[in-house]
Amino acid sequence: MNKKYFAAFGLALAILISVLAPFLASSSPDGLESAAEKFKESEGKGYQAFSSPLLGYTVPQLGETGISRPIAIVIGTLVAFGIGYLLTKAINRDSHAHH
Amino acid sequence: MHIPDGFIPLWQCAIYFIVTLPFIIKSLRWAKGEMDEASIPLFATLAAGIFAIQALNIPIPGGTSGHMVGGVMAAILLGSPFAGVLLLTIVLLIQGLLFADGGITVLGANILNMGIISTFVGFYAYRGLRKRVSMSAASFTGAWLGLFVSSLVVAVELSIAGTFPLLQGLFFMGLYHAIIGVVAEGAITAVVVSTILKVSPEIFPALTKEVTS
Repeated sequence: MNKKYFAAFGLALAILISVLAPFLASSSPDGLESAAEKFKESEGKGYQAFSSPLLGYTVPQLGETGISRPIAIVIGTLVAFGIGYLLTKAINRDSHAHH
Repeated sequence: MHIPDGFIPLWQCAIYFIVTLPFIIKSLRWAKGEMDEASIPLFATLAAGIFAIQALNIPIPGGTSGHMVGGVMAAILLGSPFAGVLLLTIVLLIQGLLFADGGITVLGANILNMGIISTFVGFYAYRGLRKRVSMSAASFTGAWLGLFVSSLVVAVELSIAGTFPLLQGLFFMGLYHAIIGVVAEGAITAVVVSTILKVSPEIFPALTKEVTS
């Protein structure tokens, strides 16, 4: 298997996980949230410093509908791929320019 | 394990950004020095995969859940903890900015915990173990330990911040993440590493070198 084929397979798998995650994932609080619920010191401390466009892994235009969460996560996965690709590509183009 | 905004005072957040910055710079140097054309799509795929798997919370008994962090897996596959640092920096930036999963003021702390501490502890534990035990056992233990130790560091940070009491914070963070780490971090890392070694070891030369050296 070559690297490009492997990368394509991996990306397809990542997108599949993204689509299924909202249906499979547990909605229970995570470890840190569960711990915070136990301590009065942390009560009311959390807030949001930035208004995120896909808050809570939903697309606001689609509300809480069934496809809203999978689409939001797929967007995140594709953005992660895009930034991972473009950033390392740009870094390596730089290094060739210096030689 | 994503700390939200408000859990750490801003001046302490600033310290975590300052501590984190040299590691991010070093990780960019790693990408420049160690990556070739062919490994760029692999790196991007790992970023996508780790983002996706972080959306998959696995339940543990008692109404709590947790997900993989993935820095140790990336470090093992690409042969350097700085690969994990760079990947987690990208993933945490996207989660914080687009999804409000993890705060913005605490981004430095979140990168320090999940990107740096978890990855370095896990990767070097794996390195130390891999000649004595099987690759699966070494990757499982490294990934588990990375998550566990970083959860204790989070408890210490939040106790300095006045948000968690120290001993109870250590107890609950440690307990939850010791359990979460078994499946969500250890097992997934071990399965991915051993599957790649079996199916297509030539894809990750750093991993293959580790096995044959």
